[in-house]
Amino acid sequence: MAAGTQARPSARSLSWRQFKAILRKDIVMELRTKEMVTSMGLYSLLTMVVYQIALSQSGSAFDPRQIAAGLLWLAFLFTSMLGLNRSLVHEQDQGCLEALLLAPVDRPVIFFAKAIGNLVFLLIVEVLTIPVFAFLFLQGGGYGGAWWMIPTVLTAGSIGIAGVGTLLATMSVNTNGKDFVLTVLMVPLMYPLLLAAVSATTAAVLGGDGSVDQFWAGMGGVAGYDVIMLLAAYALYEFVIGA
Amino acid sequence: MTDVYTTDIALEVRELSRTFGVRKALNKVSFDLPDGAFLSVFGPNGAGKTTLIKVLTTVTVPSKGTARVCGLDVVEDAVELREKIGLISHNPLLYPDLSAEENLQFFAEMYGVSDVSDRVRELLVSVELDHRRMDLVRTFSRGMLQRLSIARALLHRPDMLFLDEPYSGLDPHAMDILDGLIAQVRHDHTFVMISHDLDKGLELCSHALILAKGKVVLFDSKENIDPDEFKATYRSTVGMGVA
Repeated sequence: MAAGTQARPSARSLSWRQFKAILRKDIVMELRTKEMVTSMGLYSLLTMVVYQIALSQSGSAFDPRQIAAGLLWLAFLFTSMLGLNRSLVHEQDQGCLEALLLAPVDRPVIFFAKAIGNLVFLLIVEVLTIPVFAFLFLQGGGYGGAWWMIPTVLTAGSIGIAGVGTLLATMSVNTNGKDFVLTVLMVPLMYPLLLAAVSATTAAVLGGDGSVDQFWAGMGGVAGYDVIMLLAAYALYEFVIGA
Repeated sequence: MTDVYTTDIALEVRELSRTFGVRKALNKVSFDLPDGAFLSVFGPNGAGKTTLIKVLTTVTVPSKGTARVCGLDVVEDAVELREKIGLISHNPLLYPDLSAEENLQFFAEMYGVSDVSDRVRELLVSVELDHRRMDLVRTFSRGMLQRLSIARALLHRPDMLFLDEPYSGLDPHAMDILDGLIAQVRHDHTFVMISHDLDKGLELCSHALILAKGKVVLFDSKENIDPDEFKATYRSTVGMGVA
């Protein structure tokens, strides 16, 4: 029976079906193997412990809350690289990426589905890490900001990491030193996002006068980065995945 | 086997070139293939056979020249064309951590198949894997993987099938099963098959093509081919090196 004989769904409904199918497939495979969340979660928690050891001799005059936000985002950045590479390596196993490219799917649909999957896994790791972070670094002075500040900045920052990271992981997956290539590309590109996210997170951790203004200024930077970089990733993905 | 091709053109390749850096993987390849034909493509390693398939299946874009498959341009009409073609490769193009049924359901969603459950069940029965439908693909033998790969390629009822060394690594029993499956769909599909097995390729084909160093050395219909001369021509290309 020829292809044209079956009823064709509209382009929009087909794209939505494809998006859901890729996302569901990634989540089912992760639930089955637990490779990404386990390795990312362990790495993130161990990083927190290493930070704590590194700061253990800093003396009582030093308030670790001043640098806690930076340490947190560094941990999440490096943790995300671990997962981002794995999410694309899965697609390369037994030529699955080629099978995906053979399907009548708009490439940006693949990008958004992979990016949302990576975002979900990163957020799960962050939810697991935050209590440990609070226990190790916020015990002295406590948490100064409103409760909603941390989830807001973590979600917004993670959107940028997952979006840009998915694009860069796709670029690096066919290279010989994929881990090295991803790191070299990702760290400089993440600089503006880290700067804004660390500023907003520091305001949330320290609280006090003017912290809400500083938080929203940082959030403006994070949101601007997300919009610009996601649009750029959307526009470039077809070229990158077909290269 | 009776040839069933018509005077309509299924594959129209004109001056097709694909370069990777300075290397010309395809160099001004031109030929026409009638609808319903079975083309066997031969050539030494590095001759450009896989690149030709990748261009014709829209996975790779050509550097120069044009190709129309089922009347659609491989660059301009790529998304529409992907609905009309299927690929069976020596790589299974299946997710090892999904079951046979989950793999077919995923690809059915990607192709917008309207009757997913019925179609998946029908194909699993036809490739004799219905009893293993819930098992993870990573537990399958090479022959089972290839049968499931055929089911994946036929899910969306394509008009043209591309076979990239489909017999590679199969035992004689699995080869017989693959022969049977190809025979089942032979009458209403056009085939393009890459093969290193001259006898098998010539047995199945209605047309034959020899590529060497990215160029067409020979293209003709089977009735015009003398098997001994053909094999001698093929052997003369083996020492020609990589394109």
